[in-house]
Amino acid sequence: MATFDRILPEVSEILEDFRTELASIDWLLINRDLNGRVRIIAPAVASDGEARRTLDGIAEKLKRRIGPRAYSVENAVLYEDDYEAACEGASLSPLKGFENITIADRLPTAGDWASIAPEASGAPLVVFFSVKGGVGRSTALAASALSLAQNDKKVLVLDLDLASPGLSSALLPEDRRPKYGIVDWLVEDLVGDGDPVFDEIFATSELSRDGEIFVVPAHGRDPGEYISKLGRAWMSVIGSDGKREGWPKRLRRLIDGLKKALLPDIVLIDARAGIDDLSSTCVTDLGAKLVLLFALDDDQTWSGYRILFRHWRLASVAEEIRERLQLVGAMTPETERDEYLEKMREASYELFAGELYDAIPPGEPIEDRWNFEESDEAAPHTPWPIRRNQGFAALRSLRGRLAEIDESEIVLIFGPLIEELRALVEEQNADE
Amino acid sequence: MTTDFQDAHERHWSDAEFLFQESRWANADHLYGIAAECGLKRLMIAFGMPFDSKNDMPKDRQDRTHIDIIQKRYETYRSGNLGGVGYELPDPGAFDDWNASQRYEPRGNFDRKRTEAHRKGAEDVRYLVQHARKEGLL
Repeated sequence: MATFDRILPEVSEILEDFRTELASIDWLLINRDLNGRVRIIAPAVASDGEARRTLDGIAEKLKRRIGPRAYSVENAVLYEDDYEAACEGASLSPLKGFENITIADRLPTAGDWASIAPEASGAPLVVFFSVKGGVGRSTALAASALSLAQNDKKVLVLDLDLASPGLSSALLPEDRRPKYGIVDWLVEDLVGDGDPVFDEIFATSELSRDGEIFVVPAHGRDPGEYISKLGRAWMSVIGSDGKREGWPKRLRRLIDGLKKALLPDIVLIDARAGIDDLSSTCVTDLGAKLVLLFALDDDQTWSGYRILFRHWRLASVAEEIRERLQLVGAMTPETERDEYLEKMREASYELFAGELYDAIPPGEPIEDRWNFEESDEAAPHTPWPIRRNQGFAALRSLRGRLAEIDESEIVLIFGPLIEELRALVEEQNADE
Repeated sequence: MTTDFQDAHERHWSDAEFLFQESRWANADHLYGIAAECGLKRLMIAFGMPFDSKNDMPKDRQDRTHIDIIQKRYETYRSGNLGGVGYELPDPGAFDDWNASQRYEPRGNFDRKRTEAHRKGAEDVRYLVQHARKEGLL
């Protein structure tokens, strides 16, 4: 039986048998469609003669080897005039061992985790992400925003945990919440009417005395028909030129607009926990400068991050994202803290070294390689520690807590994270 | 005879292109309309249009019409279907001013501009059919 995971190994073996003949074809796509069935897409010029016989031969073998995951020979190959058009809408990655062959994956979601947008210009964008929930991610974000604002910075905070909104309630009292939220804008933008909503999707938090915190919640003061709206927020818009703008691009347009209107020094984004469509967009599509990976030292955390890192490695995009990643040691215990962090670093190093760091062949210099020693304090695998603190454990009481807490306590709990975020802002200001 | 909307879509498109290159606007214009109709009917079947296999035609009389009507019927099947996300056609439709009876009109009533607009409409449908094959819908 050929399960989904057997597709690529089987395809590679079949193509290997035709290696010589395939060298004369400019490009090929191994197209895995929405149902995980495979077709080959080839240039139109390959639709007759020797090339056609080669492709039909491959199609026959595919049908024999992967059965229901292949198409009948007469339907197995699609011919396209143009490579760009053939690739449109697919997530692409090279097929190992074949320079002219690419895997084209078609997914029913926009979040493929493998299309990495370059860093956005202007104020740095920091994404707070975790593979599992309940690790204090939103709390850390709220505390960071407050601390940065107390240092006279303008902070823009977006609650993109749309399926489990709540961050804004930590930063805004009921009567200060804006009329609309991100989901309202996404839904109005679908009918080309996002502008009137735009002016009322943010509010300033009263918690900051010196700088400013602009909060953009998932929904407005009255959530309205939130579920009906959320179910439509992921739609694409078709422009008058017929071009499709997927929802990640629409979201990016919203954030660019907010940056232009509010001129923040830094943008903090609360991403959804877990490997899902929304978190993919936050981590890979918005042009993040820094992606904070919140972690506990447990199996669920490490296996989740391993799935993600491996996907980046296999899709050959690790180099585009890895320098923006930073592990955060969430809720580190009060007792035996150093030992806990040491163990966490060991596990984290094993993960980063195995999936993301460049290998150093024996006898070769390390200089040009992206690689770190396990003990390197500045390495992305070395966790920035956040202390466990009961007072911050429940988001429900967080707003009251933030209103009362003094700066020194925030620094004690979240110190390294906040220092690094401040440095990021200073660095950006110096560049400008 | 057996109905094969996909094949009919492709051959009408090819012949329309042939005539278009020869500046035969009237018949090119007609064939672009038929090409678009066949492509949409193939997609409508994928989106759940009932098809009478015994009589080899769509079950509903309203689905046995030409592109000026079919472009609206298409939306009936597409819009309520999760698989139809990403298969929208531009609004307003490209064939609002096309009618099958125009095949009886004199050639002087057709020009490049009019035919180009319908060519674009048929091209949009062609793109959707090709996209559906890549996604595995067809």
